[in-house]
Amino acid sequence: MNADHRVPDLNIRFENAGVSYGARVALHPLSLTLGERRVAVIGLNGSGKTTFARMINGLAQPTTGRVLVDGLDTAADAKAVLGRVGFIFQSPQNQIILPVVRDDIGFGLKSRGLNKAAIEAAVDGVLDRFGVRDLGSRRAHELSGGELQIAALCSVLVTGPNVLILDEPTNQLDLRNRALVERTIAGLSESVIVISHDLELISDFERVLVFDRGRIVADAPAAEAIARYREIAA
Amino acid sequence: MRTLHVEGNTWAHRLPARGKLLGLAAFSVALFLTHDILLLGLAVAVAGAVHLGVGLSPAEAFRRLRPVFVTIVMVALFSLLFNPLREAAVTVLRLTALVLFAATVTATTAVAAFIDETTALARPFERLGLFQAADVGLAIGLVIRFVPEILDRHRAIQEAHAARGLKARWTTTLVPLIILTLRDADTVAAAIDARGIRRH
Repeated sequence: MNADHRVPDLNIRFENAGVSYGARVALHPLSLTLGERRVAVIGLNGSGKTTFARMINGLAQPTTGRVLVDGLDTAADAKAVLGRVGFIFQSPQNQIILPVVRDDIGFGLKSRGLNKAAIEAAVDGVLDRFGVRDLGSRRAHELSGGELQIAALCSVLVTGPNVLILDEPTNQLDLRNRALVERTIAGLSESVIVISHDLELISDFERVLVFDRGRIVADAPAAEAIARYREIAA
Repeated sequence: MRTLHVEGNTWAHRLPARGKLLGLAAFSVALFLTHDILLLGLAVAVAGAVHLGVGLSPAEAFRRLRPVFVTIVMVALFSLLFNPLREAAVTVLRLTALVLFAATVTATTAVAAFIDETTALARPFERLGLFQAADVGLAIGLVIRFVPEILDRHRAIQEAHAARGLKARWTTTLVPLIILTLRDADTVAAAIDARGIRRH
């Protein structure tokens, strides 16, 4: 349940993987490999970004091709993939199940057969990692937007994923909370895939994928990809 | 995320969750074994006193239970159409006592304890191959967790009506409420899968 369990070289591979809902194509079949520590996914609303990200942890299944995470098929080895890929949703309040932060962080470990002491130690460990031990005793509805994101992050990281997908992590946050989330993401040792409209947040990412109408139209370092995105959005 | 749990350290808070749940079950059965109006009235009085002892003001307690009380009144009116007054009174008293006791258990038991205990109590059924005990605990926990959220959402829809100068009617609030609730339920279900909370 800690960072020691992480596999250092994560490899995500899309093999002609696409998603269609009847006649509507959400994501045209694509093939690529992701191995960088920081990858961003940008694009206009409805361009296929979230579908792409959800395919990585098996929340969305490809209707053609397949997606492999460290060689594990997201369809055939769904449980193992979920253990490696953590996902933070756009609305962290929907991700937090229990009212008290500490209870919620430990909740994801109960189904793993850990005893109470081990769960408590893991919860303390992840809270200490971000220096937010005091957050544990607080109620989720009392937290600011940034604190809610940190709580959601803790609830996912406590299970020890190798890669973390964050869907719009700075959405609707004020400047202070945005800075808190940005600092936290920058300090993560896990591989990170961020879906965002916040171009400043991803401006130093190693690789940025730009989506448009269900296709990747740019796959480049941040500056080049953001320029391409601005052209599309203009 | 608001919660129906009330922070506190009253004797009701200190009782073990399992004892409260089993007590509530026994009390519910007992209420349906009697038709004595005096006895049921006494049960309502006791249940009301116990409920007010959990740390809520009478106004707050009433506000939280108002939707349930409205339902009870509707059931009573419907009962009056087909039954004598005495039967309708028995129904009202029985349901009111039950709601007050159940609300007390909800207010004094943390959601995590609810989930743990209902999961443990459902284990025998899992051994019979009927269902997964953890799913029962999770489902009950989610219901308790979502009640205040749905009420908040309903209030937001009413305010949206008011902002547009419209009178909020159930015919115009129900559909958006259901759509919003189902949409969030999808997200919560995805989050539960993503966090590996259901691992079977």
